[in-house]
Amino acid sequence: MSKWVEQFNGRMDSWGRKLHEKEIRIPVDLVTGAVFFLVALVVLLVMPDQVAISEKDVVNGRAFPTLLMVVMMLCCAMLVGKELYKLATRQPLNWKVINIQVEVKALVILAILVVTWLLSKLTGLFVIGAIFCCLGFLLYFRCRKKSYYVITLALAVAIWAAFRFALGVDF
Amino acid sequence: MKKKFLSLALVGAMCVALLASCGGKKNATWKVTCPWAPSGVAAMVSQQAATKSTSYSDTITLVAEAIKGDAATVNTWVADTKANDTELVFVGEGLLSITSILDPDKMQFGYEDFVFVENLYSSIFVLSADAKLNLNNIADLKAYVEQGNEISVAVNGATSSEAFLAAALFGSMGAGDKLKLTPYQSAAEAAQAVARGETQFAVSHQSQILETYQQNGVTVVCAFDENDIANGPFEGVEGVGQHGYPYFRNRCFVMARAGTDADKVAELKELYGKILADQEVADWLHNTMLLEVDTMSVEDVEAHVENVKNIVNEYKDIVAG
Amino acid sequence: MLQHIIPATGLLFTLENILWINIGVFVGSVFAAIPGLSVILCVILFLPVTYSMMAIPGMMFLLGIYCAGGYGGSVSAILINTPGTPHAAATMLDGHPLSERGRTKAALKIALYASTFGGVFSALMLLFLGPQVAKIAAQLGTAEYFMVCVFGLTIIAGVSGKSMIKGLISACLGLLISCVGSDPMTSYDRFTFGVSRLYLGLDLAICLIGLFALVEIMAKAEKPLDRLNLDTTQIKDDGVITKAEYKRMARPVLLSSIIGVLVGIIPGTGASEASWFSYNTAKNMSKHPEEFGHGSVEGIAAAESANNAVTGATLIPLLTLGIPGDGTVAIMLSALMINGLNPGLSLFTTQGDIMYAIMLGLILVNIFMCLQGKFLTSLFAKVVSIPQEILTPIIVIFCFAGAYSVNGNYFDVGVALVFGALAWVLRKLELPPVPILLGLVLGSMTETNFRRALLISNGSPSIFFSSVYCIIFLVLIAAAVGTIVRGKMKEKKAAAQKED
Repeated sequence: MSKWVEQFNGRMDSWGRKLHEKEIRIPVDLVTGAVFFLVALVVLLVMPDQVAISEKDVVNGRAFPTLLMVVMMLCCAMLVGKELYKLATRQPLNWKVINIQVEVKALVILAILVVTWLLSKLTGLFVIGAIFCCLGFLLYFRCRKKSYYVITLALAVAIWAAFRFALGVDF
Repeated sequence: MKKKFLSLALVGAMCVALLASCGGKKNATWKVTCPWAPSGVAAMVSQQAATKSTSYSDTITLVAEAIKGDAATVNTWVADTKANDTELVFVGEGLLSITSILDPDKMQFGYEDFVFVENLYSSIFVLSADAKLNLNNIADLKAYVEQGNEISVAVNGATSSEAFLAAALFGSMGAGDKLKLTPYQSAAEAAQAVARGETQFAVSHQSQILETYQQNGVTVVCAFDENDIANGPFEGVEGVGQHGYPYFRNRCFVMARAGTDADKVAELKELYGKILADQEVADWLHNTMLLEVDTMSVEDVEAHVENVKNIVNEYKDIVAG
Repeated sequence: MLQHIIPATGLLFTLENILWINIGVFVGSVFAAIPGLSVILCVILFLPVTYSMMAIPGMMFLLGIYCAGGYGGSVSAILINTPGTPHAAATMLDGHPLSERGRTKAALKIALYASTFGGVFSALMLLFLGPQVAKIAAQLGTAEYFMVCVFGLTIIAGVSGKSMIKGLISACLGLLISCVGSDPMTSYDRFTFGVSRLYLGLDLAICLIGLFALVEIMAKAEKPLDRLNLDTTQIKDDGVITKAEYKRMARPVLLSSIIGVLVGIIPGTGASEASWFSYNTAKNMSKHPEEFGHGSVEGIAAAESANNAVTGATLIPLLTLGIPGDGTVAIMLSALMINGLNPGLSLFTTQGDIMYAIMLGLILVNIFMCLQGKFLTSLFAKVVSIPQEILTPIIVIFCFAGAYSVNGNYFDVGVALVFGALAWVLRKLELPPVPILLGLVLGSMTETNFRRALLISNGSPSIFFSSVYCIIFLVLIAAAVGTIVRGKMKEKKAAAQKED
């Protein structure tokens, strides 16, 4: 068993080393401006479908979200404009380095969270998801101390029991 | 040794949890969901009834909860409950008579999804006016309306009971086209708006306008009832009914989920009856909340719902356009 | 005021309230003591618990967390030279050196007593100033309230993160998310995409669990595990503080408490600014400035009294105008509003008993913080080195249990996960999350006042320039924007010069 774990960890380490070297640089302000400009545009486009109004309203339910999206588009335009000006005047842009290893690790954590949620939802027993969550994170951190497993699992069950019986949450 | 102790602790915790989960879950705690603001009249009355429940029953404890959301809260309640669940909910004419006509898609329930338990109170709404206008009765109001001024009324919600009462009164006075309803987030806010001069009138519960009235910020013009107000700080305020204008009182029915055993419903009705008969509760309702104890039968409820529906159908164009 | 104090005392001194205060203080101290966990995270995790509580115990619990968080951060700052919370960084400068000189207990005691004094001073200021500010707030109408919301949002958007524009984008996003669900004015559904669970809107606690808590879990991917090995048996000193030291601390503690209150009242500024400002002031005024940075008792006392003096002061704009001074109290605003306590004068008149009970409770919170600090410091010290392997899944379980318990369904847990993923993307795009929180909290208030004001004026925007208060707030907004932009430009210039 421990041999298999060693092998698995070794393979993960070698992948990790390879991924650690891979980086993507993004002009973060330019990307933020473009992404949220599009978000605002999409919100404005779906507004007629998503927000019903009455003809009688002086100020209807679309007024405020429309105002927000216009402000957001203006902010995005300013952000993009600032970066384009920097580009034109050959000033350095605001770059953000995205490390692929970090992103993959974050995705693994997200996967643990999603599986925890799905397990709880499908079984209807929160405690099952909680136990998986503990095991998932302890394995993620490559924890080898048995006492940590015992403590974490006991705490997970205790938290579930506290919510279930002391606070009356039915899960 | 340490490991053994930790392992034992884990097993112990799991056993306790499992045993506890197998234990009897059923108890007689009935949760009463109020789908309006926690500071509102219904939520406060519900809280008072819940506090008193343990004094009158060994088998039923009422627990009050307020989740603001109106139809959305009741939709969730109906979706999450089944017959004989120990859950109760408040439903008023706002949902049964107004939303059902104006925005039926919003309601994923109907009257048939509930079984009536009891009505706790009835409240007479009053129309208050900016003190500068010096309007003290219906005759003054009529004269003011005849001048052809724009009429702005602060109400609790754009399509609330208050909005329809304002529409019915000014509509039947022939000033529906001049009426501008300004919705506020709560009845208390609407009552304060008229004192600040943001609107000329407000429709609210009596208790919600009392403080502003005592500070001489507003005058109370009329009451939305058949007769004059008989007692309390607004004694003598004219009822619109005697002048032929439409009116209704605000009522909030406590409902159980349809299919709940009749004996359980009867037991709950009996408990509410005892709570409402408590002198302390009656005094609190009467003196502090300016409400009346108003127990009802199913027939009374249906008649009330129908009356309000008629008013809504007649004046919905003024309110909702 | 006096007519409310007596009934408020009756409401406050119940076993339930005392218990919740102590639980809050304990939990807050523990969270703040552990580096990497924050007070805001703690308040978010425990917010759903307060949903089923009445206003006073719920607020006592949250205030317990909030105030103890001010002190708890100093524990790890003194013991392991790592501030448990950002505002304990100034404490660390002298706390840890004093600890290294073998006076750990004394350093912890100074931090505790200074924090308690600052907290009590601040609570008294709230008690006396709050109702007076509320009287002014009562004169504000619909248009003025909209300007107040814009003022609060602008300041928070401006001071959170590096760029004001990005702060504004975040604020817009938060306000947009607050639009999901029933239209507060007409009750028509908005942005529900046919999902019935969204008719009630997105619950604040659920959004915050994703935006602030789950994203921190994902952030574990960014850094290796911290190993904080603290040998608590090394804390052996008797903790004696001499009379001369008490005398030296008196002036900086009082001055820093005043600074803390003044800084706390201004929305957008917080405990960090107060503690650094006070630390520098105390250093400039000290007869022994050379001791600062080498274990000065004045330095610890100044920083700690200031960061706790902020706690009561931030509640002044919160309770009177509905403007949260920082992210943590923004969450408390939602806890208040859930109980039907809407900010403004009516809070101090119609619900005066409850309000005064909460304000008096803040004094009690600080007293219990002092008692717990006195007797449980060694426990808090041990907590500092809880391994991340244990802590991380436990926080996740708290997050999920909290999200589920709000409405009793797993849909909400899914929503929290979506917000967690969204927050991760926003983090990558360097968009600050605090303006989103403010947008979520102030969304409904901002929108209803905006639309109602236009309704009153028949659609004319001139209503926003029509009163003296509106003009004052417009000037304040312009001044705040100007100051923030100038500050950011200065920061950039300084950074550029440093690079050169």
